[in-house]
Amino acid sequence: MDFNLARGVDLHIIPTKQFKMNHVLIDFATPQTPTNATARNLLANLLETSTHRYPTQTALARQLASLYGAYVNLFVNRLGMMHTVRLRASFVNNRFVNEDLFEKISGLINEILFHPLIDDGEFDGPTFRIQANNLRSTIKSFYDDKQFLASQRLMDLYYRNDSVMKIPSFGQIADLEKLNAKSLVATYQSMINHDKVDIFVLGDIDPELARRVFARLPFNNRVPLSNSPLYHQLPYDQVQRKTEYQQVSQAKLNLAYSLPVYYHDSDYYAALVFNGLFGGTPYSKLFTNVREKASLAYYASSRLLPFNGVVSVQTGIRASDQERVQDMIQEQLKDLQNGNFSDEALKEVQDSLINQYRAGHDLASNILEQQLVAKLVNETNKDFVAEIKKVTPADISQVANKMKLQAVYLLSGER
Amino acid sequence: MDKQVYQNFNQSIYREQLSNGLKVQLLPMEGYHKTYAILTTDFGSIDNHFIPYHQEEAITVPDGVAHFLEHKMFEKKDHDAFDLFGKLGADSNAFTSFTQTSYLFSTTSNLHENLDVLLDFVQDPYFTDQTVKKEQGIIGQEIQMYEDDPSWRLYLGILGNLYPNDPMRIDIAGTIESIGRITPKILMDTYKTFYQPANMNLFLVGRLDPEETMAWIKQNQEQKIFAPTETPRRLFKLNDPTAHDVIPFRSLTMDIVRPKVMVGLRGTKQFDDGKQRLHYKLAIDLLLDVLFDDTSDNYLRLYNNETLDDTFGYNFEMQRGFHFAYFSSDTDQMERFADEIIDILESADQQIEAARTRFEGIKNAELGRLIGLLDSPEAIANRYAGDLFAGASLMDEIQILETITIDDLYQVAKDFITPQGISVYQVVPQHQ
Repeated sequence: MDFNLARGVDLHIIPTKQFKMNHVLIDFATPQTPTNATARNLLANLLETSTHRYPTQTALARQLASLYGAYVNLFVNRLGMMHTVRLRASFVNNRFVNEDLFEKISGLINEILFHPLIDDGEFDGPTFRIQANNLRSTIKSFYDDKQFLASQRLMDLYYRNDSVMKIPSFGQIADLEKLNAKSLVATYQSMINHDKVDIFVLGDIDPELARRVFARLPFNNRVPLSNSPLYHQLPYDQVQRKTEYQQVSQAKLNLAYSLPVYYHDSDYYAALVFNGLFGGTPYSKLFTNVREKASLAYYASSRLLPFNGVVSVQTGIRASDQERVQDMIQEQLKDLQNGNFSDEALKEVQDSLINQYRAGHDLASNILEQQLVAKLVNETNKDFVAEIKKVTPADISQVANKMKLQAVYLLSGER
Repeated sequence: MDKQVYQNFNQSIYREQLSNGLKVQLLPMEGYHKTYAILTTDFGSIDNHFIPYHQEEAITVPDGVAHFLEHKMFEKKDHDAFDLFGKLGADSNAFTSFTQTSYLFSTTSNLHENLDVLLDFVQDPYFTDQTVKKEQGIIGQEIQMYEDDPSWRLYLGILGNLYPNDPMRIDIAGTIESIGRITPKILMDTYKTFYQPANMNLFLVGRLDPEETMAWIKQNQEQKIFAPTETPRRLFKLNDPTAHDVIPFRSLTMDIVRPKVMVGLRGTKQFDDGKQRLHYKLAIDLLLDVLFDDTSDNYLRLYNNETLDDTFGYNFEMQRGFHFAYFSSDTDQMERFADEIIDILESADQQIEAARTRFEGIKNAELGRLIGLLDSPEAIANRYAGDLFAGASLMDEIQILETITIDDLYQVAKDFITPQGISVYQVVPQHQ
């Protein structure tokens, strides 16, 4: 059920009695620029910390605790080139607590989004300083998570130097130094007044009541977003390669391929199945051959990024096996290009994707994510199960032949 | 089949212990598409010293056997159980903890067939020299992967401090050296001892018909012949039940940039039964919220003076034979963090007194979180702790939580917090 609250601001209600918790997701979307990712991440942190009525995080936390541990947080994300700030709230259904939590939560969301701790055109100084420090520490500490680090370094290697995608959705430390309590107010104004806004409410809630309550949020009209989130990049002629050395027990070998198949293209579902056969499921060639048969890795998987035109491969290996593993990954791809896979494996992967899709309906956060993606690209969901079943071996090979190796990153403990 | 109705939550659990000893629980969830099934044996990494089934002599098996066994159960002579689930459209997995090993699947189709696969592969051991050797390579990589994970090192580090002479100090997966000593015979002796149906439980949650599902399970089990039940003879004993062997402090250097610190607290209380144990656990959960949650003045003060940040977390773990709590954060002030946490623990009485007005909110928040778990078939089934908590379900937990008062917290604080049980572990950047 969809309602338009203002120009560029839409409310989507998903009534269901399946869950004991209700959920709200509010998405603010705008194209990523060279500078906005860091500012928006810091803004999300400031907004979730305090408000005018609840000027410390403890005051806000106490209010949430009194609402039966209701949960409200803000974070950033990225869908292709679209940078998003998201507010997510979940709270127990009224019928378990004999209290109108829905009314109170929507009031709190109003407070968080429209009454942030801003005075005289600046965010509260001490709060700004601590949140900026925390964000700096968070970004720094990504170094400590070696799997994450390797995947970030791979994407950095993949994206061209002039691409805004080179800046991660969570921002970068260099940009943090340029922000201040005043500039963040401009970031806030821009988000609240100009971003595309989608509000999703899921749960055992009367749609008319939800519409009335959320219509109170004082959103202005805005120019609807016309940019496509899809990211295209001219392929490199030469594979980009980089090796870094750190004191690690296990080396991480990560590869990036360009695959110009995008969300809901005609061969999108074939790409999903291809990725499942390549490394996206436990029935894949990477898992069965690199891990199970050759015993070369604990993990070896692939991931399809259908808004970026990329497939990434991540493995944890012995550094000395690097060449063997890389050759083996290429062989698995060749097999798929040449149609070298069994009908049985194809069916397993299709069934697995269908099972995941159906099981996804039992997870509220998953339902919300699906709906959000559909709204951001203005598409109605096709019949997923039928589309997956339609994929033929020839479709798979066709997709596999579009794969082009672009970047190879190795994090190694051995020089 | 017993049926227990939880009216408040519009939910029922069906229970039955089969003639071979296997305990079965079924919890249908209306409107759900998937069924989650988990088969658990009461056997984990700390159970390395025991008298094998139908033998006289005690043995000590190499560290990591429980986890190794978990990996190897999937592989059979001419197939892999993993693929059988795949062919039936299910996702399957397994995991091992200090005291349990679990095998699971999740499916939206072919429930009966998948259920048979689960019961059959876990009840049909097959180990050879060759398959054991291959697994040593894969698990070796797994161990190395965890070696690079500072959060895991921090957690294992504090366990090593709290239990310096007990098996909890060792990684659940063992070491590259110890798994190299595992043989098919060791796996088989261990299997026969701990994988008897009477030492296991099966829990299904989600889309299911209780009568029909129970009939399928019985049909499967009645076709098989099981060796006579013999209660596992574990020889696990804490080196020092009074916790005077706790190592107060150790640190580790890694190639990281943010210092990480963990304070551990080992409890020594013994429990008469599972019910008492569960009450204690829930009271400690509330106690820790009172002392450290984000509604506390302690938290605000330490956050604002940057002793801790958003990475701060704490947890209480109750396991078979031992229990402990830990508190951790990334911080540039490691000593100060530890001092502050210890001060708060040691002044628990005053803290509880000062929290009287906050207590209802804290309890409601905990209730809300537990109710939230009822939306997850995985959470309902995985949280079930078997005999450890007298067979209590998540719904029972919620009902017990409601009865706990602030006055209960004084007693559990007194029981749990002792000076000898406190320890600190740091993971320090190498270039500092």
